[in-house]
This record gives sequence, structure tokens and C-alpha cells, in this order.
Amino acid sequence: MSRARASPPAARTGNVIRDSALGRVPETVEEIIGLNRHVWADSLVGPALLEILRLRNARTVNCVYCRAVRYDVARRDGLTEQKAQMIDDEYRSSALSEREKLAIALADAYLGFPAGVSRDLAAQLAREFSPAQIASMLVALLAFNFTSRTAVAVGGMPEEPLPVVEVSVAAVTGGSSAGA
Amino acid sequence: MAALTSVNLDEHLSKAGLAARSFARLCGTLWHQERLPGDLLELCRLTLARLHADSQEMAALNTELPPSPATAQRRRAVLEGTAGSDPAFSAADRAVLEFTELFWMDAQSIDDAAAEAVTAYHGEAGLVFLIEALGLIDGRIRAARCLRDIAALAGS
Repeated sequence: MSRARASPPAARTGNVIRDSALGRVPETVEEIIGLNRHVWADSLVGPALLEILRLRNARTVNCVYCRAVRYDVARRDGLTEQKAQMIDDEYRSSALSEREKLAIALADAYLGFPAGVSRDLAAQLAREFSPAQIASMLVALLAFNFTSRTAVAVGGMPEEPLPVVEVSVAAVTGGSSAGA
Repeated sequence: MAALTSVNLDEHLSKAGLAARSFARLCGTLWHQERLPGDLLELCRLTLARLHADSQEMAALNTELPPSPATAQRRRAVLEGTAGSDPAFSAADRAVLEFTELFWMDAQSIDDAAAEAVTAYHGEAGLVFLIEALGLIDGRIRAARCLRDIAALAGS
């Protein structure tokens, strides 16, 4: 396990974000929790597609925690473990749907160097998604990428993969605020 | 019309609704806090812009901060990649800018010495805030670039 560079707050609130090292910055932590809540509740694409974006990001960033998590809302929306396992190097030839493959391609475009969308991908995205849905997927990617890179940079991450575990979205969007 | 960059990204994401508004609020906190000087955070944005080789991002002006001659000189040094040897930068500034470069390469590549250098000047909470800020700013540059490409195609 890598060394943690910042310790979490002493008080426990039941929210995994607030109870992590991010809780050391009260002026941002409630906005981060709020962002997670809005991404899962108000995005313009479904939770299964969001989970595909999240898992693709987790794989690229190599956030061991994020890779192990499966959110309950995404499973209820149809993201089976079999599908989750298809989000790998061979995803283009997998049984994932065209929309799911395009979501992964968008994630790769965002995560790449240089970041950017090719002409072909832009045309395919425009055929399959509305501009508002593309913006919505980018907001979700921003949220997932920012939190996973924060987790990796703060340290304390196991080096070996963890077993897959289902987590309720409420764990990152709920809980009582510190001092409440 | 201003180029689509991290500076004006929120207006282009707003069609995504509540999540976009929430994201904009979170990012707005970066420029109105006391953990790190705003002009230093702006230099982090320019460092990331240089590393992304994004000329439009490098040219963008952050309207959240008042312009100043001192900032202009430091801005040039960061964009030219000479901040490490420029006397206009303190050791505390350099610790933050070096951390920024490591973060950009790969969050896994950050070594303990780089993190400890930031913590020495800004404390543990300052380090966590810097990590959050870099993740948000770098993500904004990436998202702006994606949307810029998509918009260019739509307009062609």
C-alpha cells in the first residue's frame, strides 16, 4: 500500500468522501458530495452508461478502489458484471452496444494525450447523443476523473486489485454533514 | 468570440443541467479560498496548459483574477517553462509548480518528497486542496478541448 500523504478527519459521518482526506477541506467537500449526487441523480444518460464511463476512467487512472466498486444504481440499470468486464482493451469487439462503446471512446478521448475528439468520433457521438447528453457525459467524466486522481495522489492506495464490491450510491451522496 | 477553454467551459457545459451547475459551483470555490494564492493556482493552470501543448488554453485569461504586472512576468516564465530557475518564484511556488507537473504526468508518479515539499509550506489540508484543484483544472482543460473539437466539426 502506498503511503497516505494526508489523514482523514477524526469525526465519522457515514459519507465515504467526507470521511476521507477530502474532509480536511471543508470549503470544497460539500460541493464535491453535491456534485456526485447530481451526477448520479440528474445526468442526461442512464446510470449504466455513467458506470461505464466511471470504470473506464478508473482503469486508466488505476484507482484500485474505484476499479473494485460497482454502484447499485448501475447494476439495477443493467450493467452486469459480465458487461463491466468488457470495459477493457478489446471493448470494440465486445458485445457492448454501440452507445456503450461510444461512451468508452469519449472517455478515452478525454483521458488521452493530447485530449481531444477525432472527426470520426465527433460524428458518431453526434449521431448517437444529443449535445446536452455529450455535455452531461463530460461532466460525469470530470467528476469521476477528478475524484479518482485525487484518491491516487493523496496516497494510501492498495497496490493489488481488490475484490469487486457493490456500493450504494448513497455512500458517496448521502450521510450527515460534519457537525450536523 | 473567445475560444472554448477551461476559463469559459461552464457556459458550454450548462446544457447538461443540474450536474453542470454543481460542477461550476465547485470549480468557483477554487478562486475564492485562502488555502493557496489565486495567482499561484492560475500559474498551475498555465503549467497544465503548457504540458497539454494547448495554445488556446495558454492564451486564455482567467477573469476570476485581477491582472497585475507581477503576474504577467510570472505567467511568461511558466509558459516558457523557465519558472524553475526564475528568481520571481519562491521555493514555496516551485514546490507547487513541480507538484503540478508530476500530477499531470500521472498521479501515481508523485513522490513523497514532492508531496512533503507542498505540505511543508501549505499544510496537509493545503496539499489536499492543491490535489483537488489540479484535478479540476486539468479536467476542465481536457473537457474544453473535447468540446472544442466537437464544435469545430459541427461548424465545418
